[in-house]
Amino acid sequence: MKFYVRRITFYLVTLWAAISLNFFIPKLMPGNPADIFRENLLRQGGEITPAMEQTIQLLFGSPDDSLWEQYTRYWSNLLQWDLGVSTTKYPTPVTELLAEALPWTLVLVGTATVIAFVLGVGLGAWAGWKRGTWVDSLIPGSALLQSIPYFWLALVLVAVFSVNLGWFPIIGGYSAREFRAGPEMSWAFVSNAAFHAILPAATIVISSVGGWLIGMRNMMVATLSEDYVTTAEAKGLKPSRVFLTYATRNASLPSLAGFTITLGFVVAGSIVMEQVFSYPGIGKLMITAVTQKDFALMQGVFLVITLTVLAANFVMDIFYGLIDPRARQNV
Amino acid sequence: MFRTTRKRMLPVVALTASIAMLAAACSDSTDPKDNPKPGGSAAPTSDGPAEKVDRPLVVFAGSQSPITPNFNPYAPTVLHGALGPIYETLFHYNKTKAVDPEPMLGESFEFNEDGTELTIKLRAGVKWNDGKDFTADDVVFSFTNVAKAAYIESAEAVDATTVKLKFNAPSFTNEWAVLGASFMVPKHVFGEFTSLDKLVAFANDKAPVGTGPFVLEAATSASYTLKANPNYWQEGKPALQEVQYLAIDGNSSAQAMMQAGEIDYMSLFVPNPESITGTGDVAMVNTPMDPTVLYTCANADLGCKGAQTDVAVRNALSLALDRATINEKAFVGLAGTISPTFALLGRDDKWIADGMPKEIAQQANVAEAEKVLTDAGYAKGSDGIFAKDGQKVSMTLKVISDWSDYVSATELIASQAKAAGIEVKVETTDWDGFSNARLSGDYELIIGGMVGTSLADPFQLYRDWFTGDYTQKVGTNLEPGEWNMTRYSNKIVDEAIQTAAGTRDEAVKKEAYGKVQAEIVRDLPYIPLIINATQSFFNTVDYSNWPTEDNMFAFPSSWGSVSSGIVLGNVQGPKK
Amino acid sequence: MSDIDLTPSAGADVGSPATEAARPTLSGPPQRGGVKAFLPRLTGKLAVGLFLTIGISLFAIIAPYVTQDPRNYDSDRFLPPSGAHLLGTNNLGADVLAQLAEGAAGSLMVGLVTGGIAIFLSLVFGIIAGYIGGWTDEVLSLITSIMLVIPGLPLIIVIAAYLESRSLIVIAIILGLTSWAGPAIVLRTQARSLRNRDYVAAARVAGERPHRIILVEILPNLLPLLAAQFLGAFIAAILAEAGLSFLGLGPSGSLTWGVMLNQAMAHNAFQVGAWWWFVPPGLLIALFGCGLSLINFSIDEIINPKLRNAPAAVKSVRKARKAGAEVASSATPKEA
Repeated sequence: MKFYVRRITFYLVTLWAAISLNFFIPKLMPGNPADIFRENLLRQGGEITPAMEQTIQLLFGSPDDSLWEQYTRYWSNLLQWDLGVSTTKYPTPVTELLAEALPWTLVLVGTATVIAFVLGVGLGAWAGWKRGTWVDSLIPGSALLQSIPYFWLALVLVAVFSVNLGWFPIIGGYSAREFRAGPEMSWAFVSNAAFHAILPAATIVISSVGGWLIGMRNMMVATLSEDYVTTAEAKGLKPSRVFLTYATRNASLPSLAGFTITLGFVVAGSIVMEQVFSYPGIGKLMITAVTQKDFALMQGVFLVITLTVLAANFVMDIFYGLIDPRARQNV
Repeated sequence: MFRTTRKRMLPVVALTASIAMLAAACSDSTDPKDNPKPGGSAAPTSDGPAEKVDRPLVVFAGSQSPITPNFNPYAPTVLHGALGPIYETLFHYNKTKAVDPEPMLGESFEFNEDGTELTIKLRAGVKWNDGKDFTADDVVFSFTNVAKAAYIESAEAVDATTVKLKFNAPSFTNEWAVLGASFMVPKHVFGEFTSLDKLVAFANDKAPVGTGPFVLEAATSASYTLKANPNYWQEGKPALQEVQYLAIDGNSSAQAMMQAGEIDYMSLFVPNPESITGTGDVAMVNTPMDPTVLYTCANADLGCKGAQTDVAVRNALSLALDRATINEKAFVGLAGTISPTFALLGRDDKWIADGMPKEIAQQANVAEAEKVLTDAGYAKGSDGIFAKDGQKVSMTLKVISDWSDYVSATELIASQAKAAGIEVKVETTDWDGFSNARLSGDYELIIGGMVGTSLADPFQLYRDWFTGDYTQKVGTNLEPGEWNMTRYSNKIVDEAIQTAAGTRDEAVKKEAYGKVQAEIVRDLPYIPLIINATQSFFNTVDYSNWPTEDNMFAFPSSWGSVSSGIVLGNVQGPKK
Repeated sequence: MSDIDLTPSAGADVGSPATEAARPTLSGPPQRGGVKAFLPRLTGKLAVGLFLTIGISLFAIIAPYVTQDPRNYDSDRFLPPSGAHLLGTNNLGADVLAQLAEGAAGSLMVGLVTGGIAIFLSLVFGIIAGYIGGWTDEVLSLITSIMLVIPGLPLIIVIAAYLESRSLIVIAIILGLTSWAGPAIVLRTQARSLRNRDYVAAARVAGERPHRIILVEILPNLLPLLAAQFLGAFIAAILAEAGLSFLGLGPSGSLTWGVMLNQAMAHNAFQVGAWWWFVPPGLLIALFGCGLSLINFSIDEIINPKLRNAPAAVKSVRKARKAGAEVASSATPKEA
């Protein structure tokens, strides 16, 4: 019991610290959002009419109250799930922007992470089982994949498959031309969205499968030389049974732990990819918020990211506490 | 030409993706699927996909995803499609040519003798797209609502089609702001907002009521679609049934989509335009408008520091530049030639005083540059850099790291300056660094833009960027609307601008401009580099009547506000 | 107690969670003083890894003296590779090979500095927390966990945006300050485990000071682990720098591979088909990372001898079988 109390206290303290940081970091950022907004508009090719000029200052006027008042108000708003109004996407509330973006990121990056995990762990288990054979030559290849810069891979994929070959769409989460009224509940839409997700997902899978593979392979090799595996083999159990029940099951535990944590980073991990593909997810929002100094949006995005990471860690802690009694003593 | 997306996919991905795409669809209750169709009684009932035979014309005007539907002309986040296609101004000022303003909702206008009163004749018979009449009261309301400009004293409807505006000072120079950039809004919609912050918070995303050629059909976070206004006041316009604006992040994506025929109209800097126009399906026009210059903190009296406060150094640096190479390599040969008088060549030629150079030198003149420095008492040091009194001619040049063409230009400038014994150290910075430096005056050199004037008259540029009234001491930030980053202050310029502001007499104006030009060409507070290209691309296979070099009936940019409404109202197509 | 391998939160490193989590920590104290045990045997993987790493490092050190001036813009734009320009020219006419060489130095510098800072901080937060325990441990662990939970890249982006002018070294420091938490947790677990070993207890009883115990008794045993963590941080830093540069938040005024990629993208190298400009930097990043990973892999084999022995055993068994010998080794998995 003490274990759970300690963990929960720990998570509450971390949560408080993280949320406070979320509040203060944007406040510490320099720069005048109004000015940035105005210049961005001009640079993107917009015209500032006299009427707009008047209203920009109003929109970006900074509050006069003290930082402490802002901090307490931030908390009270937060508890009512009010994250303020975005300035770059004025007058949309931040919660609305997040709600719209979150499903895209969750589905795309979530699916890709699961695929990469299953593929990586599967191949890794096999490579471990076949240790000492030609299969070991998968290792350098995996190490290479692991180190490819994400965005570079994405750009190369787009240049080859979308621009030159024309097989895949260049950008977007779905075809805005075919679905002008936005997302809808139809097979046509879902298949369109899935089609648009192929290249982004491939980017994630290709660049993260290597890590899983090497990790799993090493765990597998280590597990296979454990005494109980030797015993199992000596007893004359079928190789497939040894492979699955004795080796893979035990070897995949750390990978599973890593997987839970990675899932926590699903929301945060796709910033660069979403930028390349103009994918309508959380990462895009974050780039917009950071580059345009949209403080409310920035805080909202950070909050979502921190919450998911914390939640994933929490789940994994509890999970480990349940299956591994040693973890409960070794906090 | 128009390539539909091919439907190939992995079943697994489709299945897994389907689950939460549905979730996405569900949570998208904010999407205006349920938008009431704009137009009310006046709009025809052309709903239902079965009747849609034509595809929409697809525009990229610079929107980034996600789009927030906002069609309020008073909101800073208003979408491009609102200004021009939906809301209109009284007159259209074609900033590409020296021509008279073209009547839109107004038919004619006249200033009184001293420029304190403006009488506007309105077009009769115009209707808002909700069927109500467009009246003189609406015009009065548009000028006197909670967002009223400071220089307007009052507005009154003289009769049903005449409006008289009174200003609190001679206001010849506000002609464009009043007639060409103030959008007319219906009193019966905007009248309910009693304060500026309420007005700004109005997204107007359901059925914006304007007089323009298009009305809103649907808006999502990825795109928004306008459809033809059947009761538009110009007979036979618009020919287009639907126009769709896309959100795209990243110029290279937009370029690739234009190449693939997925966009019909966009304005974007494309370094290799032949990759798009090569097939002959797409036409490009290039309309250079806005100058790119080196700001120099020029005025030591107001606190500027550094070698560039000496006019000889500024002159030598200007002479050392090989603008032809800068244009060719950094701006891929698409930039226009700049005049040292800052009058836009071709359009503003009549304002360039006799004896003033029309074009700035395109080739470097290292010998002359060195002579200027030597004459001013500088001598070359052992490191090949000029110096005087132990002070090296060495300056830091700031550039925003994201602006790749400017970054390239600075690298060229640094190497060209070095050849003439001038050290230019490039320092990349981000938005804040750039903005703070130029607002506060705490810099030596910055590469940056100037805002070209919206009508064929360099007045606004001279006043806002060169006069002592539009600057502050170094260390004090410029106020919004003040653009004189260089802290340049010259009595002759200030007086000449005063003279020009109070007159409509061209001869008087030209004489005043001549005085300004003589000063700024000699003093070079801004070192002219090039005129930025503005490239616009049109799908000419499926659509016709685009602006061309010979018939530039409006500024062709897809993001131009009033002009994009004119262009889209004019385009014919799609061809069947 | 002594062979607890994992802390729950070990390895929340976004880049390679599995390698991190799956890396078994020392399963027994290595023989102290047996320096040989620390030296990896030269396997094929190690050879390839060393070749890539040393080769690219040498390129970074030597090439800048041999290649042309990376800021000479006299040539034409977008020249394809030729004798005069082995890797062609970029949008301004600069020699890509020369830029690649200068970029190599920049990227490797970022990696080294970041790796160094990350390892130093993880030593402080990991080993001190693990060895001293008590309240010190509680506080240090809490800080570590918060750093671990706060998403790294967003934090970096915010800090990077905060600094108006970002030199290479500043970027490296930011990356170092945000990437030590993962290694710290791994080290803490290990330090806790070592603390209870007999020889450490003996040193304590003998009256050795804590700092001496940490330096002399504990640290040497952690060296392989430290090296692995350092290499991991090194790769992650190069990748993170490239990502930052791509987003336009990279170092200003200096060249790195990430900056080159950013410029290539900004100037449409991908559209123009100037592969000689955008392929080499990305490929070098991937190859260098691959080299470090392979070295890391070999270090893993030192830390965990099973990794090394098992495949070797299998190999020898197979050889033996081929030779027709009857082998009934217990370590042999049956081959299907």
